Parts: sequence; C-alpha cells; structure tokens
Amino acid sequence: MALTVLIVSLFVLMALRAPVAVALGVSSLLTFLVMDVPPVVAFQQMSAGISTFSLMAIPFFIFAGDLMARAGIAERLVRLASACLGNVRGGLGPVNVGATMMFCSISGSAVASVSAMGSTLIPMMRREGYDADYAVNVTTCAAILGVLLPPSHNLILYAAVSGGASVSVSELFLAGIVPGVMTGIILAITAWIVAVRRGYPRGVFPGWKGFGRSAVAAIPGLFTAVIIFGGVLGGVFTPTESSAVAVIYTALIAFVVYRSLGLRDFVKAAQNAVKTTAMIMLIIGTAAAFGWLLALNEAPARLAEGMAWVSDNPIVTLLMINVILLVLGTFMDMAPLVIITTPIFLPIAMNAGMSPVQFGIVMMLNQGIGLVTPPVGTVQFVGCAIAGIKIEDVMKTIWPFYGALVLALMAVTYIPAVTLWLPSVAG
Amino acid sequence: MIFLAFISRMISRITLMLAGVGLLMMTGIIGWQVFARYVLNASPAWAEQAALVLLIWYVMIAAAVGVREGFHIALELGEDALSERGNRALRISAMLVTLAFGAAMGVWGGELVAKVWSHDIPTLGLSRGFAYLPLPISGWLIVFFACEHLLAESRHTRVEPLWR
Repeated sequence: MALTVLIVSLFVLMALRAPVAVALGVSSLLTFLVMDVPPVVAFQQMSAGISTFSLMAIPFFIFAGDLMARAGIAERLVRLASACLGNVRGGLGPVNVGATMMFCSISGSAVASVSAMGSTLIPMMRREGYDADYAVNVTTCAAILGVLLPPSHNLILYAAVSGGASVSVSELFLAGIVPGVMTGIILAITAWIVAVRRGYPRGVFPGWKGFGRSAVAAIPGLFTAVIIFGGVLGGVFTPTESSAVAVIYTALIAFVVYRSLGLRDFVKAAQNAVKTTAMIMLIIGTAAAFGWLLALNEAPARLAEGMAWVSDNPIVTLLMINVILLVLGTFMDMAPLVIITTPIFLPIAMNAGMSPVQFGIVMMLNQGIGLVTPPVGTVQFVGCAIAGIKIEDVMKTIWPFYGALVLALMAVTYIPAVTLWLPSVAG
Repeated sequence: MIFLAFISRMISRITLMLAGVGLLMMTGIIGWQVFARYVLNASPAWAEQAALVLLIWYVMIAAAVGVREGFHIALELGEDALSERGNRALRISAMLVTLAFGAAMGVWGGELVAKVWSHDIPTLGLSRGFAYLPLPISGWLIVFFACEHLLAESRHTRVEPLWR
C-alpha cells in the first residue's frame, strides 16, 4: 500500500510538471503520512543526504568544470586533438570524441563536458561544413564518458550509496578507465564512419611544430587529471579534497599560466556552480528520503522476487536490470536514479554473480545513455541549446551512436574483465 | 505587488552573492585542510563539519531561490501538444505542489530544529539545530516565491528570472 502511494504519487506529480526534487519530496511526505511515521524523519533523511562529506566533491567538481570551460581549456584540448587526426576525411568526428574524452577526464562531469566542449566544437564543426545534428550527437554522446571516466562525481555518489557492499572510490576510478576508453574508441569509429558516409571534408595537418605547440599548451590543463587521479589513488587526499584542490589548481593555471580568466568570469563560474549545485543537491536530498522509504517497504526484496519469477538465469537477470534502468533513465535525472536504484539492483546483480565495482560501471554507462535521451536528457538538451536546434532533429540521426553505446554497455555487462582487469593489476 | 516583487528580487540577488561566497569559503576550508595536513602536520578537526554546514546553508537557500528563478528541472512532456490554457493549468498545479512542499519543509523542518537545538556539533561548538535551520528558512522562502509566481499567473504575467 505505502509503496503504491510512493510510486504512483511520484509519477502523478512529475506528470503535473512539478520539479523532480519537489515530486520526490512530496511523494515521500505523502507516504510518511500514510505509514503514520512522523514527517520530521523525511527532513532528517534529506538533510543527511545532503550533508555527506564525500558528496561535497560534487559542488567542487561542478565549479572546477565551469572554470575550465571559461578558461579556454576546452579550445586547447580541441587544438591538440585536431592536430592528431584533423587531416583525415571526416576527422573532426573522432577529434571531437577524443577532445571531449580528455575534458571528461579532468572535469568528471558530463554536463560540464558538453557545455565546455560543445560551445567550442559545435560552432567549429559547423564552420567546417559538418551538420548541426551530427555535431551535437557526437559531442553529447562523447560527453557521457564523463560519468564513466575518473573523476566522475556520479561514481563518487555510487560509492556513497552502495553502503554495505563497501566499494572504494579509487577502485571505481580505476575500473572506469578501460570501459571509458573502450566506449570512446567505439564512438570515435562510429563518428568516423558516419562522417565519411555523409562526405564531410578533411582538415589540414598543422605540421609537427604545430602539433608540439598545441601539446604544450594543453598539458597544464590535462595535468588536472594527474592531480586528481594520482592524488586519490595514491592516498594523498580524499576524493572530496581532490575536488577542492582541482578548483584551486584550475583557478591558478587560468589566472597565472593561461591568463585567460578575468575576475568577472571567476565570479560567474562560482555563481553558475551555485545554481547547478543547488539543483542537484536538492534532488539528492529528497531522493535520499525517497530511497529510505523504498528500503523500509522492502522494495528491493519484492523486485528481486518478481525478477526471479521471470527467470533465474543470470544473463537474463542482468539484461532485465539494464532494460529497466534504461527506461527509468529516460524519465529521471542521473543523481536521483543512482541514489534510488543502487540499493534495489545492486543486491540482485550481486546475486547474479556481478561484483559491486562492475555493477557501478554498468550503471554509469546505462544511465549515461539516459542523459542523451528525452524526455529528461540533460546532456542532450545542453547540446541542442548550444547548437540552437530542436531536440527532435537530433534524435532522428542519433541511432548509430545509440548502437555504439549499447554495444559498449553489453560488453561492460557481460565481460567482467573489461572493468575488473585494471583494478586487479593495479590493486 | 510592486513591493513584493522588489523584496523577491533583493532576496534573489543577495542569495546569489552569499551562496557564491559560501562556495568559495568551502573551497578555502577544504584547501586549508589539505595544506594544514601536509605542511603544518596538523589536520584541523573543525574543517569538514564547517564545510558541511556551509554546504547545506547555501544549497538550501539557493534551492529556494531556484523556485523563483525556475531553474529546477521538471518533466516537460507534451508542452507543445497542450493549449496555452492547459500549459497554464499545469504551471499553476506544479507551483501549488511546490508551495505545499515548501510549507511542509517550513513546519517539519522547524520542528527538527527545535528538537535538536540543545545538542552541539562537537567539533564546532555550535548547536546541531544550526545545521538544520536552513531547512525551515528554505521552506518558507519557497512558499513566498511560489506565492509570487501564483500571483503573477493570476495577473497573466510571469516572474522574470535574474540569474543567468
């Protein structure tokens, strides 16, 4: 009964276009009232959900990502990538994937990556004769690698909510690398094939000198990845500390090395980070209350029973989890889904023989696909807004990229070595 | 109405400024924690808790202003399919739900503050209630901003967002 109220009211409220955070909060409150639990508990859960030290990395990474975007780090990465591959026919497609991947590995955020790389790459590709829908789809699909590659803040969120399974952030960071790079390569090949079939032009090789110059210019920005990843892996600092250090380091190179950031941009970046953080953290808070109620009403056990009734074959179970998550991912933003569905599906996946580290990566890639799928596809919306085209127009030609992403998802789901090999070698 | 709109704009601007300062202070505190640990060999015990209190304050207040600014994400299914009247009805219903959420957070969040006011956060020497206080404040601010939106709807106007 309580579970029905919780889930039905959530969907009704979302259909009424209440903000996702509010819909999660109100449906939880209604359920508290139905269950006769004091609603004060809801706000206690909400506050606890927000005041988690490891989640403080989220505002910092958002801030750092915004600073990187404004400091022109994006353009330097594009120059480096196009020096490598720009002279191939349709080369800007793979160049886009490579440059966006580099940005992902320093910002840890898909939204930051699409806004930074999109505002550089999409106009550039259009000038070179590429279509807007292609430019948007390549950038947005590559940007979702930001949730896979370290320092993905969604991986930090997953580590925080996977509770009993005790997954460490550094292990997840290591595990994300091979799947992230593999998905990047599949996307780059797809982008290249589509570009050649559409007859897109080739660029010019800037010469080895030009290549060297663009590499040197990109190094200080890329070094952020070394600081964050090396720092966390080496135990120098916690992920949260690494994110604050990333903010300070980015501000430093932007002000001192690149001299590309004014005080005005800095203030704007801080304010923009405040806005994004407030939005995401409120959702995280109300999703925490919602998730607490799901657990209290034994939703995980009931769903596990239901799925066992359909089939007890692990291959089918994992496929079902993927399909359910993909469907949910189109309707919901990533952060609340990670909070709500991890406690539900993680035990089922572990029962089917999957390690919690691998499940984390499967979940990231799966819900990353949701980020480029309407009705709630944050990354795709940002990409379309930058290019100034309608979401319907890009969705018509996204299919090859979906194919690439689903292929990668299946590989990550059914081949454990893709995720677990690197942690086992490095650990 | 003009006075109300003026107050609302003031709150929005001040929050944007203070929240930005809050974020910078958080960065400073955590940066200091790393610096102190490696350079001064003394990890400050207060740093994490102080940063967390700052976080919940600025997040909750900025989230309330987000209602005014309309930056919270919502499902926008079928916006084109509906008539302007239908869209307006949905805008109003969403705002009413938001208002109810704000009022609930105001009341029960306030209860939470009262309950824990006598407990202290050990490392800070501050009342634990201080960490919960932004909840009722944010709740009543949400009520205020939702009312502003509803009033504007009743006059067939819109609240102009200030954060860009």
